[in-house]
Amino acid sequence: MKHFTTLILVLLLTHNFWSQDRKFQVNGAARGYLFAQKMLIDDALDTINAPRANYGHTLVDLGFSIFPNSSTEIISNFRIRNEFGGFWGGGVSFNVRQLTLNGVAGKVVKYNLGDIDVKMTPYTLYNFQEEGIVNEAEVFALRRQIVHYDMFYLPENTWRMQGAQIAFGLKFNKFLKAIEFKGFLTRQRPTNGISIPERLYGGGMVTWKQNENLQFAYNNINLFDLKETINDSIRYSNNVHSGSMKYSRPINKTLKWGLDAEAGFSNVKYSNYQSPLAPEKQNDWFYDASFNLEDKKSKIKTTIGYKDVGANFFSPGAQTKRVDFNKFPAVFQQYTNAAVGRNVTIADMMNFNAGYSYQISEQLMAYNAAYNNVNPYGIATPNRRGVYLNMEQKDSLKFKKSFVQVAQMFESRGSGTNVKKAFTSIAAGMTLGINDFFKWKREILVNFGIRHDLTSRGGEVYEKVKLSSTLIDAGLSFRLVGKLDLLLGAKYFTAKGNEFITERTVFNTVNNFLPTTIDLSETTYAAGFRYKFSEKNQLLLNYQLHQIKNNVPAGINYGISQFNILYSLNF
Amino acid sequence: MNRVLLFFVLTTLLVGCRKLDKNNFEGPSLSDTYGPFTVLQDLNVGNYEVDFSTGQKVVFNMELSKNTNWVIRIEGENSGAVRTITGNDRTLSLQNAVWTGGANKYPSFNLEKAYITITFPNEEGSPIITDSVLITGLKQDQGYLITSFENGISSTWQQFNQSTVQGNINCDANQAAKGSCFYSWNGTVGWDWAIGSVTVKPSSGTFNLPASANNLFFNLAFKAIQNVGPQNSFLLFWFDEDDNGDGVFDPNTEDRFKMEYWSNTMDWDLISKKYADLKYDNQGAVQETNGNGLTEPSKLISINVFFLANPAGGNAKAYADHLIFTVNEPYQP
Repeated sequence: MKHFTTLILVLLLTHNFWSQDRKFQVNGAARGYLFAQKMLIDDALDTINAPRANYGHTLVDLGFSIFPNSSTEIISNFRIRNEFGGFWGGGVSFNVRQLTLNGVAGKVVKYNLGDIDVKMTPYTLYNFQEEGIVNEAEVFALRRQIVHYDMFYLPENTWRMQGAQIAFGLKFNKFLKAIEFKGFLTRQRPTNGISIPERLYGGGMVTWKQNENLQFAYNNINLFDLKETINDSIRYSNNVHSGSMKYSRPINKTLKWGLDAEAGFSNVKYSNYQSPLAPEKQNDWFYDASFNLEDKKSKIKTTIGYKDVGANFFSPGAQTKRVDFNKFPAVFQQYTNAAVGRNVTIADMMNFNAGYSYQISEQLMAYNAAYNNVNPYGIATPNRRGVYLNMEQKDSLKFKKSFVQVAQMFESRGSGTNVKKAFTSIAAGMTLGINDFFKWKREILVNFGIRHDLTSRGGEVYEKVKLSSTLIDAGLSFRLVGKLDLLLGAKYFTAKGNEFITERTVFNTVNNFLPTTIDLSETTYAAGFRYKFSEKNQLLLNYQLHQIKNNVPAGINYGISQFNILYSLNF
Repeated sequence: MNRVLLFFVLTTLLVGCRKLDKNNFEGPSLSDTYGPFTVLQDLNVGNYEVDFSTGQKVVFNMELSKNTNWVIRIEGENSGAVRTITGNDRTLSLQNAVWTGGANKYPSFNLEKAYITITFPNEEGSPIITDSVLITGLKQDQGYLITSFENGISSTWQQFNQSTVQGNINCDANQAAKGSCFYSWNGTVGWDWAIGSVTVKPSSGTFNLPASANNLFFNLAFKAIQNVGPQNSFLLFWFDEDDNGDGVFDPNTEDRFKMEYWSNTMDWDLISKKYADLKYDNQGAVQETNGNGLTEPSKLISINVFFLANPAGGNAKAYADHLIFTVNEPYQP
């Protein structure tokens, strides 16, 4: 420990000297986070669980980039975290958040070793967004950024893994423009030497760039158990192959049209499993093709497409959920006198109280049908086929951001019946700079988003399904004075209807449908002040009230109030 | 450009021809779990007279609207014998609903009418299906039948009864565990536990049982009627082996394996014991015998069935029936 501290101090003191030669860089982040939370529930319903939960921490992430030579970079990031309430080392933890070696071999092959962020296509490896967001208010987004930062959920939808990746390309003067190769291999799980084999995850892309307008790619990714890492010979493997294409062509100076397509298949094998439930293999395929039109002048891009994802298409890297709905929230895990486990709510996901994924799951994880029944496993959700339309306007003079997303999906295979479910999803949102409209100096930012989902199935009385849900996000950011902002935010979610919740075996085969009635509403209001010392340094004081009304028989109504102080600094 | 479009269209067409899984769905059928229950095809049991002795069976054929639990109960009109067959299927057929003449436990079926009832316990308000068949021949036992007491007392047998006890073969088809006759003890012995016994012996030599004791089962039907209970009455068996093969059992030099069976209920019990386990007493200890100590069924020369009861318990009464050895498994009534 002493050596470690000494090393940090030495590095900090010598920062300036080394940085002049670009041998060394220091960056990082620091934050202080303090919560005071209270469970708001009828006294008669809960007399056994403590209604208050107060905690907090300060932490520093110290990042060092060392350049031993012109083609090598060593990145390390150390976290020192101190829980409030611990003194003289009590409650202090030191963690290595990142150790990465980057470089270029022979001025040709780029490589990364250690902690790497990987992503491929939405059907092979893609970290899709969690539920409960539709252009949310800044007062919520600031909180969520903490979650995403800590869990390495980057805006690029990458997954953080440990392993190695390489990339290199070949450029041509004739026939084609370039061919690029990318590959990675990561360790997902060590063996326990007895019953759990070591698991690796590797993939690669070969991209053929014909010209500026046309490119093809072959993508392959494998999640597999390493042979002979345990005496027993059980082995799991999941192999996904896909081919993708991008084409774009200008119509005139401002208009451009394009085609995007990806098609592929998955192949899952359970070798030597003793369970009679284990299928020998599961194969299925998908395709997704879309046409887009982009207007550079208005910055509007419209995409219309059709996709078909098979019921047995399993792509763990693209279907792993960020939030594990089987886990209880970190705060107020149990409530009521019956000590009932509390379900994860939209506010929990935002407040870092949910159980988040940091590994790829070969099992389709549990989900809450109320929050997202249309695409619970992201774009690559199995057993979905249908059309979608996306319109998006990037930052323009009037709108910071606006979008419309419509999807009409159907099951490709029925769930417990030959009658198939239909899924409709409509979402729209915008972020508006009011001051831009009226040419005020003082920034006033309004954001609004709405998403409405509908799941329906006809047929006999016993198999009918009708579940609708609506999520509304609204927020205001108002510059009061100097660097002080008033932040307001509201989330309203409601879901009503019935559904048969799909229960799966560990082998992803469906073994039960649980009839469920949903009549739920969640409201979250937040108000706070933010003082921006600089773009990288801010203080947020925030009050949040979250209320749930569960109107089904024996449903529990409750709320959670929260006051928090967040100080953050990036350097 | 045109080639690109052509490629795009062809690819889309190629992969767009997914088979519409109209008659294939994921998971268990919702209809089976939550759908309405109806009987689509009425019960059909084929022959209404069945001779089990010739290998005939009763096959229950029926079709339901969903997979659900069903219980077939067959009850003998006179014997009171009961056989139940359960399952969870849409169809009842030769695969899952066959009766070969056996009962769940003693008593066994006789030549009599058997009433059939089919119920669906998970289907509220479902109909109760009834039918009947006439048994014209009983199922053939698999094994080595020593006696079912149907042919009287053999000249080689020995009987002992206290002076106040009536111990002998009785015949009443409605009371026997199997067939018409059984052995009965009835009497009050206030001074001793011993009530009476019957020693069953072959007409000559041994019972001609197989040599292996590891897969041979001794079986006897026993019914305690009065002075019942694990502290009150029991059967004591002596299995005498002719170790030296001279045709005579000598208790001083040959093996006598003993077994106790204490009464529990007033119903017919099936006493069943693997012959190889006879060398252990009720506490699991190896019995001390005077012979070679090996359980050798091929040398079994006599079986003594001794009824004992607590003298303080008043009148003691019990029946025994159908002494049979079976191979690989206990007897199936």
